[in-house]
Amino acid sequence: MGQGILRYLRMYAQLGQYTLAREMSFRGNFLVKVSVEVIWLGILLAFYATVFGMTNTIAEWNRPQYLFFVGAFFTLNGIIETFFLENCNDFAELVRTGDLDFLLLKPIDEQFLITCRRIDWGTAPNLLMGGGVMVVSLYQMGWPFDLVRLLTFLVTFGCGIAIAYCFMLLLTALSVWMIRNQSLMEMWWLFSSLARYPKEIFKGTWAQPIGIFFTFVMPILLVVNVPANAMVRALEPSMVVFTLVSTVLLFWLSRRFFLHALRSYRSASS
Amino acid sequence: MTPPDTLVEPEAPAAQAPGVVGRGPIVTTRKYVKIFRASLGERMAYRGDFLLGTVLRFLPMVTTILLWQAIFKSSGRSNLNRFTYNETIAYLLLTHISRMFSSMPGLAGGIAREIREGTLKRYLIQPVDLIGYLISYRAAHKVAYIVTSFLPYALLFFVCRNFFDTFPDPATLAGYAASLILAFLVGFFFEASVGMVGFWFLEVTSLLYIVMTLTFFISGQMLPLDLLPAPWSSFLKLLPFQYMAYFPAVVFLGKVKGTELVIGLLAELFWAVFFMIVARTLYRVGLRRYSAYGG
Repeated sequence: MGQGILRYLRMYAQLGQYTLAREMSFRGNFLVKVSVEVIWLGILLAFYATVFGMTNTIAEWNRPQYLFFVGAFFTLNGIIETFFLENCNDFAELVRTGDLDFLLLKPIDEQFLITCRRIDWGTAPNLLMGGGVMVVSLYQMGWPFDLVRLLTFLVTFGCGIAIAYCFMLLLTALSVWMIRNQSLMEMWWLFSSLARYPKEIFKGTWAQPIGIFFTFVMPILLVVNVPANAMVRALEPSMVVFTLVSTVLLFWLSRRFFLHALRSYRSASS
Repeated sequence: MTPPDTLVEPEAPAAQAPGVVGRGPIVTTRKYVKIFRASLGERMAYRGDFLLGTVLRFLPMVTTILLWQAIFKSSGRSNLNRFTYNETIAYLLLTHISRMFSSMPGLAGGIAREIREGTLKRYLIQPVDLIGYLISYRAAHKVAYIVTSFLPYALLFFVCRNFFDTFPDPATLAGYAASLILAFLVGFFFEASVGMVGFWFLEVTSLLYIVMTLTFFISGQMLPLDLLPAPWSSFLKLLPFQYMAYFPAVVFLGKVKGTELVIGLLAELFWAVFFMIVARTLYRVGLRRYSAYGG
């Protein structure tokens, strides 16, 4: 077991090195990608500043708390984009062309190889930028250092990444049946819009059930809300436990579904 | 994560120029009508896929409505810079209609690819003009897109009808229709101009990403430009990008009326002609440098 994990870690490091070398041979392209992300963060912050120029709170989140939320969302999305999005996006094309055969033949776990084989270094600086935004917001609110909160944040943020990854894996697996899929990038953008704002905005007769559904049935709302809430607002142990349980369940479920999808793959090329 | 380029409609596949020969106005018209019909058929082949995509596209709309509801409730004000809550939501719904007309996914990238791969030469040896061909092709795709997404959008607007306080009078509606058609032209010629840059830089994808990301904000798709702080709102209203989302929406809401409306439409027309000249000029000058790679 330990040997196996070590082998995968070594392999991942090699893949990371290889993709970094590739990225660095197109430095201009890398710089453009980074500047697009900087512009996008600028837009998000401009939106934030404009809105908070007109109000002091949004759905019970005050200015620095909301800024922390924005930073956490930006970081989480940066992680998903850097490590998984491009790989999952390519999956539909691998199925359509039949090139998936080559990956399935390798003596490596299929899920690992398909979802982790490339690292998109162009979005890696997002982690630093998002982290920076979070630190600035903590400074603005005069956050008193609290180890329990910090640890809870780190653990639930990790769970958030895992939950987001599992949902993306479920969406990816669908491409086995839907050959001419809408691009996964677009589907992901639309789907992740649910996690982009505090869950307290889901209020009112029709919105509350939607909020409950996406918290407890399809728990995409937990992804940024629980860690950000634990760090800068209220620490709710029940939600933290629920997040841990959902992560394990979703991971198991999405893996089962993905392997089931692979069994339905009919190798178009041969 | 930046909004994907294809957010409004799926990317159009690479254009295939048919070999149609002939001269004279009637033959010419028939030629472009044929391109229109073939492209329309191609588009309708994937209507199920289309419908699914359109339905998915409403998710962000739900969260946006909820976010603005929270913003208005927390601010305790009934209007922000002359936009009421209802008007803000109506505005954001209407920008979807604007983008339906003005967004051109894959256009600039397609032109740049034709230049890079050398397939552009078919427009030079066949009696079909590149820009004329592309505009008929796009128009067909727009018609197909609008027809297939009519039902979901009609349903959306029906569900959200309470956000619309009044229905515009005929004059406003006429102005709205004109602003949308001009939005199509501004969007088309702007993107075509960006694509023509491919004559000088073989790879324009990266440039496109920057342009797309910026356009998303400065065209007013995220919030009404009037809500931005003082110098920015007036500055952004001087740029052509506002016609791709903001302007048609505020025309529909009756915020631009009378002389102001006429001036706005004339300015929009100016930008459409401006970008048409830019695209044509870049094409003509670019062709001189073009070396038709790919044998």
